Amino acid sequence: MPTAIASEHIGHFIELYEKAKALSSPAPKLAALQDKAAAHLEEMRFPTRRDEDWKYTSVRQIVSQNWALGKATTLSPEHIENAAIKDLDDIRFVFVNGQFVPALSTPASQWPQGLTIKSLADALEGEDSEWLSAKLEAHAMHDNPFVVMNTAFGQNGWYMEVQKGAVIEKPVHLMMFSTGEEAFVQFPQLWVHAQTGSEFSVMEHYLPKEGNTPHFTCAVSCLRLEANAHVHHYRLQRESDTAFQINFCEVEQERDSVYSSYATDLGGAIVRNNQNVLLEQSNTETHLNGIYLINGEQHVDNQTFMDHAVPHCNSNELYKGIVTGKARGVFNGKVLVRPDAQKTNAFQQNSTLLLSPDAIMDAKPQLEIFADDVKCSHGATIGQLDESAVFYLRSRGLPLREARTLLQFAFLGEVISNMPHEPVRNFVEKLVHDKLYNH
Amino acid sequence: MLSIKNLHASVEGNEILKGINLEVNPGEVHAIMGPNGSGKSTLANVLAGREEYEVTEGSVIYKGEDLLEMDVDERAHAGVFLAFQYPVEIPGVSMATFLKEAINANRRARGQQELSPVEMLKFIRSKTKLLGMDEQMLKRSLNEGFSGGEKKRNEMLQMALLEPSLAILDETDSGLDIDALKVVADSVNALRSPDRSFIVVTHYQRLLNYIVPDFVHVLFNGRIVKSGGKELALQLEEKGYDWIKEENAVAG
Ligand SMILES: Nc1ncnc2c1ncn2[C@@H]1O[C@H](COP(=O)(O)OP(=O)(O)OP(=O)(O)O)[C@@H](O)[C@H]1O
Ligand SMILES: [Mg+2]
Repeated sequence: MPTAIASEHIGHFIELYEKAKALSSPAPKLAALQDKAAAHLEEMRFPTRRDEDWKYTSVRQIVSQNWALGKATTLSPEHIENAAIKDLDDIRFVFVNGQFVPALSTPASQWPQGLTIKSLADALEGEDSEWLSAKLEAHAMHDNPFVVMNTAFGQNGWYMEVQKGAVIEKPVHLMMFSTGEEAFVQFPQLWVHAQTGSEFSVMEHYLPKEGNTPHFTCAVSCLRLEANAHVHHYRLQRESDTAFQINFCEVEQERDSVYSSYATDLGGAIVRNNQNVLLEQSNTETHLNGIYLINGEQHVDNQTFMDHAVPHCNSNELYKGIVTGKARGVFNGKVLVRPDAQKTNAFQQNSTLLLSPDAIMDAKPQLEIFADDVKCSHGATIGQLDESAVFYLRSRGLPLREARTLLQFAFLGEVISNMPHEPVRNFVEKLVHDKLYNH
Repeated sequence: MLSIKNLHASVEGNEILKGINLEVNPGEVHAIMGPNGSGKSTLANVLAGREEYEVTEGSVIYKGEDLLEMDVDERAHAGVFLAFQYPVEIPGVSMATFLKEAINANRRARGQQELSPVEMLKFIRSKTKLLGMDEQMLKRSLNEGFSGGEKKRNEMLQMALLEPSLAILDETDSGLDIDALKVVADSVNALRSPDRSFIVVTHYQRLLNYIVPDFVHVLFNGRIVKSGGKELALQLEEKGYDWIKEENAVAG
């Protein structure tokens, strides 16, 4: 039942949409889709904690603000260079306040063969992806208002198509910077279509903003893996502690494909991640890795949904986190094994260290199994640091802080070590170590 | 080196140590024997600084300083080392990382320069070799899945690397076959020097054939009830503890 308050909040975004429309005129197909999404949005309401899926996360603080759209601005090349991941040979896409900045990005002439990258508008006009337009249509009418909103606003989306059999060595690195004093909202959108037998890596990287003005990122990513495609998908979120993020990621896997995600949340005031994977054909592999390391009053909510629709698929989820201060972590991992999905292997593990009396963790594994010949397991543990291990390390001369840091680092290390790119692994290790040590 | 006077300690309100007196001079080896549950590990852990044990009375002076006032890691920096009866398994922390961190933490605290990665590797290798340990072990998580013997050997490796002034071995020989036991004894004997002392807690006289003690003490019910030379260990091996218990029942 839409309340007056909730629809008023929607109204702000509709006004913002009208403003955005007045400023830019996307190509006709995209414009039509966006209008459709906006019209749908107008009839929706934002979720409240009375909605089952949003039980632990209130979006009121986010949607009640009067956001402006990010203004086009730029940063110095040195700034980008300083923020680069050391030794990572990447294809860079630089965004500042939600706007793509070609001058700071890898020029199109240096994009590798076998990888087609287009703006969303161009991709849609070009008719080369039925999949893309079908998905966008669905997103415009989605029941999650944030997906609808992203569709309405997202004129800065990118569509990446990895050609059949192409092995793209360099990861595509989307660097999302934010700067300036103004509070703003951005709507990143990422589309990946990995054709048969291709290999591809992509990283969404949300960097910290200088200053304390909040901003809100409402992101959607959508990936389709054709037969035997391999995709590594990183999301590294290390925004400042005033930032809000709502992410929606949807993956579709065809037979024999392998999808791996590595989601790291270090920053943000309120962060909500939805990671949905639909296994459409057999013999797929899915690895969902997640890390959350939060303190202060941070709030990070991870929702995963593994949809085993067909037989002989394998999924493996490992989410680990450390929650201190007054922070709150949420993990809700849903695994659905449909009646046809015999011989499914589905494993899920969520482990959290809760290191202060005011820290909260809500862990909710949900297995719904409708096939009988399957191997499924899940585990959720919430614990403290092993004091006898702390003592052991200290008795060998490690100061308390080093001992605790080392143990916490080891705890998260299990997930970090799954990241296949060494420079990324080193980078994340350093970020995690620094945050742990400075707790 | 170490002077323990009238030491009382309790855990969860139960008094376990009920007035321990012990003097250890530089270069000496003291063996502590005693029945299960008599408080041997409690004493060892109190010396290492484990917080669960509350010292309610008495004093411990180590190298002229109040040991009980020192933090756990400060005790290590000052040269106190405990080889644990049950070393903790720490998944995710590799042996190599742990040894490197421990060695450098001690060097920093003692005002020495940290070892470079190359020096570190050389140093660690020289000791693993001495202890007949496979280098592959350095890649494994600390004590995780180690056999009982491997864990004990690992304690000896750490002792060899940290070169303590006072090493307390809590049943390092328990469960070891004779070859492994010799390795333990060799690593102790290699470190023996006029300015280093050892407290060796054991149930078995056998170890003391290889690590010859200057003194043997019997800990019973939280007190040292008998002290003597190495022949006391033989006597205990032969006669068990019943005569000691009886003597104390009479005396007490
Ligand atoms: N953490 C603890 N909590 C409660 N009781 C404890 C704890 N540690 C030791 N105790 C008790 O203190 C007593 C002495 O234990 P301790 O481990 O010191 O004996 P020990 O002489 O080392 O025995 P063993 O030869 O079996 O190793 C025992 O009764 C034991 O149950
Ligand atoms: Mg004991």
